[in-house]
Amino acid sequence: MNIIRDIIHTKEIIVCAGSGGVGKTTTAAAIALQAALEGKKTAVLTIDPAKRLAASLGLKELSDEPSKVNSRKFTAAGLEPEGELHAMMLDTKSTFDRVVTRYAPTPEQAERIINNRFYRNISGTLSGTQEYMAMEKLYELHADGGYDLIVIDTPPTRNALDFLDAPKRMTDFFESRVLRWFLLPYMKGAGGFMKVANVAATTFLRVVKKIVGAEVLEDTAEFFGNLEGMYEGFKQRARDVAALLKSDATSFVVVTSPALDSVAEATFFATRLNESGLPFGALVVNRVHPHFGDDIGVKPRQISKLDKGDADARLLAKLLDNHEAFMRVVRLEERNLEALARKVPRHRWARVPYLEQEAVDFSGLVAISDELFAG
Amino acid sequence: MLLDEFLDPKILIVSGKGGVGKTTVSAALALVAARHGRKVCIAEVDQKGTLPRLFGGGALGYDPAEIAPGVWGMNIVPEQALAEYLDVQYHMKRVSKVFTNTHFVDYITTAAPGLKDILVLGKIWFLEQGRGGGAQDFDTIVVDAPAAGHMLTFLSAPMGLSDALRVGPVRRQSDWLVEMLRDAKRSRVHLVTLPEEMPVSETLETSEALTHKIGLNPGAVFANAVYQQLLTQDEQETLDAVMGDANPRELKIAAAEVGLRLDKEDLNALVRYAHFLEARRSIQAKHLRALRKGLEDPVVELPFLFSAGLALPDIETLADVMEEKVAEL
Repeated sequence: MNIIRDIIHTKEIIVCAGSGGVGKTTTAAAIALQAALEGKKTAVLTIDPAKRLAASLGLKELSDEPSKVNSRKFTAAGLEPEGELHAMMLDTKSTFDRVVTRYAPTPEQAERIINNRFYRNISGTLSGTQEYMAMEKLYELHADGGYDLIVIDTPPTRNALDFLDAPKRMTDFFESRVLRWFLLPYMKGAGGFMKVANVAATTFLRVVKKIVGAEVLEDTAEFFGNLEGMYEGFKQRARDVAALLKSDATSFVVVTSPALDSVAEATFFATRLNESGLPFGALVVNRVHPHFGDDIGVKPRQISKLDKGDADARLLAKLLDNHEAFMRVVRLEERNLEALARKVPRHRWARVPYLEQEAVDFSGLVAISDELFAG
Repeated sequence: MLLDEFLDPKILIVSGKGGVGKTTVSAALALVAARHGRKVCIAEVDQKGTLPRLFGGGALGYDPAEIAPGVWGMNIVPEQALAEYLDVQYHMKRVSKVFTNTHFVDYITTAAPGLKDILVLGKIWFLEQGRGGGAQDFDTIVVDAPAAGHMLTFLSAPMGLSDALRVGPVRRQSDWLVEMLRDAKRSRVHLVTLPEEMPVSETLETSEALTHKIGLNPGAVFANAVYQQLLTQDEQETLDAVMGDANPRELKIAAAEVGLRLDKEDLNALVRYAHFLEARRSIQAKHLRALRKGLEDPVVELPFLFSAGLALPDIETLADVMEEKVAEL
């Protein structure tokens, strides 16, 4: 059985991971599409504002709430879905707001945090926030139980590993002692501790204040002050999310291209998943050049002779050159993939070659899906 | 366009969506500048690794190291830039060590987003001014900038800071950065893209915002990995004509004359690869048209290189093409 098909029928969550530019979003959508065809009520959650994906699914835009893909899209492509396909996009800010509201002891405190300027900056700039919220949203969707299968795409980080560490980075961030030590002079009711704050800290604060302004420091201190007492909730949720990701319900699909960099990243990522006790499911090798025929073994001498010949000979010379060039790419890609095969056996791969059409519309997506689920 | 004119601004910023070959293009640009007698520094921004791999060396540090003749490489890490800033400006070397290993920069940069970018740009300014001393006196600084989404915030950070602060040394310093970025004689932004749907539409948005919202100086847009035309129209017609034939005789005869025996399978593969190339080329052509149509800046096409994972010889090839194409602008 095809490895990806096996996964869609046995799992509830598929996490698509990989480095940027390898086609993660498209892969996630193609997997979800096939799952819907095979009877699953499926949701695909993307992180990117993927306008093209929305368009190819016949949706005006993707929002924070799942929208159902019209079954006419399927019928027009000559397909009959036995399940349903829903698509949505992560809204980091509103997910974060819900988290805050859930864990704040009072609605007033939640509001104070949500209106805090430091907090408003966090959702956009703090590394790891988007990853953390993606996991949070995934957890909510799964807990609601509205779907048989949820396929999620991971943020376009430069480093695919970043999102594995995100929850921990976030909770570490909120709990850092160093920060509180530096911010002590700005924390309300901390007057008694002022004497403890040493000279280095105050000198340093003076400089920082000069650079960023006193207001910024006050905002930051207020934010952390309001957060007191909520850490346990955050940490508990981070543990729950980690447990869900490690459970039998989840499978990780690592997406890569045959390029050296992304193969290196994928290899590392697959290893890291194993070390972290996260269930690796399959590898999708995307954007592979097609392999037509075998080496012809033409010699440069023959090519140059052909080049001097008649029109047919010159045409043949070009065709041979072109064939050799593609074969060279195929060989290099195969060499890169060989290294990958030593880490991830080939029976856990699905290969998607470059197609002669793009996944810009529904039928393009179906074509990708056909390749993914071939065999 | 004269190459010297193209290479004139000391700071060449290169940006684009992740996975489009931004680092490759930066490296080729650096080689071109070095070939024209410039001492070049290519600066990665808080990254790990693609650039040194291209040049076949180890990881880059904060201090520039020579990675090819005439080309130095470095990695600008905001934490280290802050430490250097505090040291140069306030002689606070000891204190700065306290937070380089903690989340401190994370907090401060979250509290004041853009500060990280200011620190990086500040380091670039420092290099531009030749303040790093003789060994760091570069003629050209190629900045392998953050991926496009972040790039706009990266480059507009000093404007934001200048707006926020009315007086003081930091205000003055951020004004220096704004001047550096707005002066076409000092800096220029080149974008890299692929002839594909998403990268093209993102490039159009970025270019528009760069020029009209932030007011920076656009350079060229490099369209990377473009498949080159293989057949003339006549040849394509001949091929189409013999395509219907499962075992094209004309090609077989031509092959036999040079002592090459082609079987049915070989001929089929030849035709299919030619067809594949043509199909991909027409997809690319559509996106290149959209790119040219939506853009005021010149587009420089760089060829698809038949290899998987580029190395120095490939970068040399791209540098050759770049020299040639820029001269035609």
